[in-house]
Amino acid sequence: MTSPAPESIFEKIKELLKPYNPQNRPILLHSGIMSDLEVDSVAVFDLVMGLEDFYDISIPMEMVSDIKTVGELVNAVKQLTSE
Amino acid sequence: MSLFDKYAPLKARVDIMMKMGRDALGVEFDDILGTTRGRIGNREIILAGTNNYLGLTFDEDCMAAAVDGITRHGTGTTGSRIANGTYAEHVDLEKSLAEHLGMPSCIVFTTGYQTNLSAISGLAGDKDVIFIDGDAHACIIDGTRLTGASTIRFRHNSPEDLDKRLRRQGEIEGGHALVVIEGLYSMFGDVAPVDEFIDVTHRHGGYLFIDEAHSYGVFGPTGCGIAEQQGVLDKVDFISGTFSKSLASVGGFCASRHSEFELLRKVMRPYMFTASATPSNICAALAAVEKVKTGGHLRDNLAARAKQLHSGLSEMGFDLCSDASPIIAVRRPNEAVAAMEWNWLLENGVYVNLAVPPGTPQSSSLLRISLSAAHTEADINAILTAFKSMKAAQGQMMQDMSAALSA
Repeated sequence: MTSPAPESIFEKIKELLKPYNPQNRPILLHSGIMSDLEVDSVAVFDLVMGLEDFYDISIPMEMVSDIKTVGELVNAVKQLTSE
Repeated sequence: MSLFDKYAPLKARVDIMMKMGRDALGVEFDDILGTTRGRIGNREIILAGTNNYLGLTFDEDCMAAAVDGITRHGTGTTGSRIANGTYAEHVDLEKSLAEHLGMPSCIVFTTGYQTNLSAISGLAGDKDVIFIDGDAHACIIDGTRLTGASTIRFRHNSPEDLDKRLRRQGEIEGGHALVVIEGLYSMFGDVAPVDEFIDVTHRHGGYLFIDEAHSYGVFGPTGCGIAEQQGVLDKVDFISGTFSKSLASVGGFCASRHSEFELLRKVMRPYMFTASATPSNICAALAAVEKVKTGGHLRDNLAARAKQLHSGLSEMGFDLCSDASPIIAVRRPNEAVAAMEWNWLLENGVYVNLAVPPGTPQSSSLLRISLSAAHTEADINAILTAFKSMKAAQGQMMQDMSAALSA
């Protein structure tokens, strides 16, 4: 599988974040997933599972713990899909 | 800027909760009157949120054993087992649990939380990969954090999803897969298909660890838990449990069908560097294990009460998170409504648990009930009456909540 472009990963993350963003806050690359979008820790892992299934990758929990922003999540998916 | 500023969002939530009544995460009972009754002020409260599944906390034999433990060996152990020695009762309890579970090795710990922290951190090395259920308890997650192992979550109670993730992982070079599940999940009260998880795990060459904290004593012909009930106890690699629920004490255990598990006594930091369980706690648990073995009548009553409450709440139209079990979780529309109702129930003599995100699956807000074999049919009717009255009082509650929040 060809590694997806960061833009399409960003779009996918925005789509998966929708149910966790009822106040429709703007989702930007530098948005803090928990701090700005106020997605709780359990919901973050649900979001991650959706990405894992869509891209057929594993994002280990220790990696998720280090991801603070949407942009960092895009980079992590990009890296894992390139391996 | 203060060190505590990062907790401002939490403080805002606590402030709202306090405007609506009591601190649901810090309820103070003025007295505990018995297995199913407490007192706050002048009000007697039915305890329906204490995980006292077999109702043994006031059992005469368990209390006598605890007193005898203190009389013979004092109030505390004053240190860890590696530095200060093991008491005879630690060994007796380990032997009793190992025999009950039919496993060659069992280690006891000072708390249930510490049990999973110790066992998981000891079992998984840097090259191993841990697979945990999506609804895993905090002590399992924290246990993985003490290891250098990579940790992957699979969808809750889905052996198919675990299978997919194990396949995706492929061969683990120099290591193994450790799969961690729970028998009965503490928030929703749903049961794991342990037999299917064993099949998937072993097919991929992994080891299965099951936490039976909420199910030991409650399920299975002799009370060993869900694995025993499903006829696969002998295939489970590691089984953990707690003393603070069915065993009416404080502490925990982990047993294994692998005798090499004994080596972990010299590896597990949360076991090695904390004080061992006190004689009274260990002796009470030891007496309770005997009650579990012959506790078919307790399990029967507990199952009957669970069925009674579950069907009563269902008939009232409440949205329940799983089939009847000693844990019955009532899903509420949001945190504010759940908190308001929780207060109402307590003011009207019923103590349940308020469970809110992030401590709950699916970001749910729950009124969580845990039943006891000591609850009577009349107790359950009283709880049902309280829920019915709560439903009828919704309008007034909403008005009171609006007034409280705008004050």
